[in-house]
Amino acid sequence: MKFIMNTGRTIRQGKHIESKLGSAYSDETGTCFMHPMDMLALGVDEKENVKAFTDVGEVVLTVVIDEGLPEGMIFIPYGRHCNAILPSTTHSTGMPDYKHSSVEIVPTIEQRKSAGEMMEEMGGVSYADN
Amino acid sequence: MRIIEDMVCPFCGCLCDDVILTIENDMIIAADNCCTVGNAKFLGKKRLKSPIIKKDGVWEQTGYDEAIQYTVDTLLDADRPLMFGWSGTHGEAQCIGIHMNELIGGVIDSTTSVCHGPSILAIQEVGHPGCTLGQVKNRADLIIYWGCNPVEGHPRHMSRYTVYADGYFLQNSFKERKVIVVDVRETETAGIADEFVRVKPGGDFAVISALRAIIRGKGDIIPESVAGVSREQLVRVAELCKTCKFGALFFGLGLTMVKGKYKNISNAIELVDELNRHTKFTLTPMRGHWNVYGSNEVFTWMTGYPYAVDFCRGVAFYNPGETSAIDILARKECDACLVVASDPGAHFPRACVEHMKDIPTIVIDPFQTLTTTVADLQIPVAVTGIDAEGTAYRMDGIPLKVKKALDSNYPSDTEILSKMYEKMLEVQWQ
Repeated sequence: MKFIMNTGRTIRQGKHIESKLGSAYSDETGTCFMHPMDMLALGVDEKENVKAFTDVGEVVLTVVIDEGLPEGMIFIPYGRHCNAILPSTTHSTGMPDYKHSSVEIVPTIEQRKSAGEMMEEMGGVSYADN
Repeated sequence: MRIIEDMVCPFCGCLCDDVILTIENDMIIAADNCCTVGNAKFLGKKRLKSPIIKKDGVWEQTGYDEAIQYTVDTLLDADRPLMFGWSGTHGEAQCIGIHMNELIGGVIDSTTSVCHGPSILAIQEVGHPGCTLGQVKNRADLIIYWGCNPVEGHPRHMSRYTVYADGYFLQNSFKERKVIVVDVRETETAGIADEFVRVKPGGDFAVISALRAIIRGKGDIIPESVAGVSREQLVRVAELCKTCKFGALFFGLGLTMVKGKYKNISNAIELVDELNRHTKFTLTPMRGHWNVYGSNEVFTWMTGYPYAVDFCRGVAFYNPGETSAIDILARKECDACLVVASDPGAHFPRACVEHMKDIPTIVIDPFQTLTTTVADLQIPVAVTGIDAEGTAYRMDGIPLKVKKALDSNYPSDTEILSKMYEKMLEVQWQ
């Protein structure tokens, strides 16, 4: 199914912003908030995983119900997960489409990765003695 | 144990200056009056202990002198260096950053380009009818939150400055104030609104235009529904705006990060202009990083431009979309990157982070961030508001002196950047 991806701050994301390699941060930024009717159409229950695709990549997210969202829109808290699939085009303004880009979503049984694991996939190295 | 009052929170653009810290054994053990996020900031404990450098893919500790020399060499060797971040540090450090950037002929950009950059473009186009948050607190009887969710993003904004704050010129502030929330999502902030206006995604520009038409007396040309908002509700909202004594429109990234970008803000400013023919009305961007507004002030008074400033020609040049960090990284244009007090590794699109991994990237930040993982060197510094002091600007442009609560062995951003700048000057004189 096609969705509009909306990303933004949440208080839980802000709370863990100084420990982004911790699991609590990834639990929040790896969440895909979705309207219950969309979940029904997609065939997923809360806490199940979905995979989101764009032209630039894919990411596994965990679904959480949000009745405040309009149907056809998902909300992902700011972080590595949403930005892994966000195109870098800025339409000559300097600003990517953080709150309005198209994504394709399918159910998956794949495990969600942490932000640290995603960085390591790109060749990043965490500092262990911290 | 000692108590320090009236501390400034170093997290968001609210710059809450009523924080009370309890210190015991040179550690902050409690932070009162903070929101959850500010509390986590003050009590954060996972700071890097010393500079770290990546050698053959493995991190190892290094000294401050070596780290400073490495940074100086890297930036001087680069043909197209990018210096990004700046919003999480104090104005004095930002000043030195600009001097450094001018010397090396690089590009300097703040997190503005990925938050309210479009708002600044709009303000440059049509002006800024703003005021201080003190004016809003004491006078405003109508608050509009458009495309923002202060309950999550600026948790004390409503209690300090708007909905729940006592106003000097209002008899019963809480009862007298009306609150309008405009958003594509029904957020927690929408839950406290007298009027929640749900706009279809991408429809903000049309809704603003419809309100402008109604306020100019052209309501008869408005169709039954505009971007999902009924004509009746638009007329009701326009009437609330026209008949208030003092209205304050706060807007967030729900207007800057969607289609239309700066044109949405231009239109919102024009709406406020229209409203000022009937009553007093102001507009304020909900700035996110605590001193992002300060970066715009410092950049502007030193270079003439508020962000995305390119010195490769020897003089300041500004063209967001070309000289902004995302574009420069996505085009793989820069060949070295200095990140100060921000985390593009978490907040930039994949293509940008991949390029940061491929070039020498240096981070100046107290904490290990996601940018650390793709960097080559990180220098830990003191946190302004905890063990460093300096100047920061609130979201309404008010500069505040940020005190420190503790002494520590960490150098401040200003000290580290000053040493780098002095070494660069020495090289230049040779």
